[in-house]
Amino acid sequence: MTKELREMRSNPAAILPVVLLVAVCLVLPFFIAVVLPAMTGEALTADRTIAQVLAYAQTQLPGLATLPREAAAQAFLFQQFLFLFLVAPIVGAVSLAAYAVVGEKQGRTLEPLLTTPLTTSELLVAKVLAAFLPALAIEFFGLALYLVLTVSIAAPGVARTLVTGRSLILIVLLGPLSALAALQLTIAISSRVNDPRSAQQIAVLLVLPLVLMLVGQVAGAFVVTSSMLLVVCAALAIIWILLVLLSVAIFDRESILTRWK
Amino acid sequence: MISVDHVTRRFGDRTAVEDVSFDVHAGEVFGLLGPNGAGKTTTLRMLGGLIPPTSGSIRIDGQAFTRESANALRRRIGFLTETPGLWDQLTVEDNLLVYARLFSVANARAAVQRTLEMFTLWDRRRDRVALLSKGMKQKLAIARALVHDPDVVLLDEPTANLDPQTARTVRDMLQELRAAQRAVIVSTHNLDEVERVANRVALVSGRLIAIGEPATLRNEVFGHRLRVRLEGSAEQMLAFSRLVRQAGAHDVRIDGTMLSMATNGSGAATPAIVRALVEAGAAIYEVTDDAPSLEDVYLRLLSAPGANSPLPTGHWPLPS
Repeated sequence: MTKELREMRSNPAAILPVVLLVAVCLVLPFFIAVVLPAMTGEALTADRTIAQVLAYAQTQLPGLATLPREAAAQAFLFQQFLFLFLVAPIVGAVSLAAYAVVGEKQGRTLEPLLTTPLTTSELLVAKVLAAFLPALAIEFFGLALYLVLTVSIAAPGVARTLVTGRSLILIVLLGPLSALAALQLTIAISSRVNDPRSAQQIAVLLVLPLVLMLVGQVAGAFVVTSSMLLVVCAALAIIWILLVLLSVAIFDRESILTRWK
Repeated sequence: MISVDHVTRRFGDRTAVEDVSFDVHAGEVFGLLGPNGAGKTTTLRMLGGLIPPTSGSIRIDGQAFTRESANALRRRIGFLTETPGLWDQLTVEDNLLVYARLFSVANARAAVQRTLEMFTLWDRRRDRVALLSKGMKQKLAIARALVHDPDVVLLDEPTANLDPQTARTVRDMLQELRAAQRAVIVSTHNLDEVERVANRVALVSGRLIAIGEPATLRNEVFGHRLRVRLEGSAEQMLAFSRLVRQAGAHDVRIDGTMLSMATNGSGAATPAIVRALVEAGAAIYEVTDDAPSLEDVYLRLLSAPGANSPLPTGHWPLPS
């Protein structure tokens, strides 16, 4: 992992996709919930769909019920955009992880690495962590900025609704576990293919459930409660462990050395 | 220290290495010679525990590569792979530092400094590897193989891409490794280099064709030959050739004023041959052993009938 972090230090552009995606996630909610209504002069709750979804959400998410309607609408949107924060680092870091093993193959640097006492599981988990930790650090930095901007720009009381047990589950459990599972899948695929794009394209599919959650909530189809989130987190943890075992099982040192040209 | 016992390696229908056996001891530099596709790299990969043999066994100090022992054995091995495989975006120092840590070297920075200084790369430590020449990359790759002070050293074409001066540094380093009681196996095409550094060589071409000290192989393949430079006309040279035959030489060839002849044993007949020539009034300028190069031995053995077909281990297809 030291190698990847040093490489990243010498080539900071490698993490640019993560930074850009987090920046978009940071700007987009404020544009929709604060800037756009201010520009058009039309309140968020004037939109019938938002009003309907909000009415339902207020019954499911108690923090929203105590706020004035417009502030509650803002709070609801800001809460939903937390999901985007979880997706952004995954999408960005997957490109790093996709290159992790294929890149070593292409650079002919994998064989010397395999002569070291490093076990396959250590190698693959290190590759995941090397993509995961910088992405997580950028995500947490973005979230801290998100909170500060919410306190400064959004309606009073909105920021408080973001600091809940549910948000904590999203940020501390769901986000990292989704990222770990997606990156582990990327690494598993990366060790079997010759082109990093193949790994990237397949692994990005793992963010679909998160996107569906976001879309479903915004569309008013359902509201994901804390207990539902915990179930999803447990499932993701199991998926990650299974993917670690799978990636170790399918990492075939011999065919990498003898068939990869 | 290293024991290779009837090792065969197949890839599907293709047999890369067949029934190869040899031992390499501590304090020995062992040369692995053979043409392209002879199975040298496959043999080294098996020795390094990167791929298992299809049959037979490889042991280091009696210990075979298993799931349990692999990591402990790899710690003892320094492996220069076929391609340098360095991380181009990292500095010279970082490339070594990562490996020193992977091998859990105590005081990794000091070990890296010592190794870089040994290969005169310390001044370039802050340069990215991408900026180095091919030769410097090769030097760095060798340095990386030695940074954890292994007691088994496997080098695949170590002097490829190196200038003569650096190649000499590598040869000196091999001598130092030998003196430090390391077991070193060098796979190479550079026969001159092997001749200078290796205690023993093995000629492989899928299977083991010959193994032994370079001098022994020479004698086995060509016998002992003597060259005598003297003064004389063509008729006199013919007379001298008859004379040396009577004194025990055979296969006598005349090349101008040079007589080249095969003798029995390793030069025991030389005094009698020289005495016969002197008594016949020959003016002798020079008497030398006519030692064929290892390249001659290599080419002779590889072109021998049966060199590329299966033979029982230990059988040498020596040309008549």
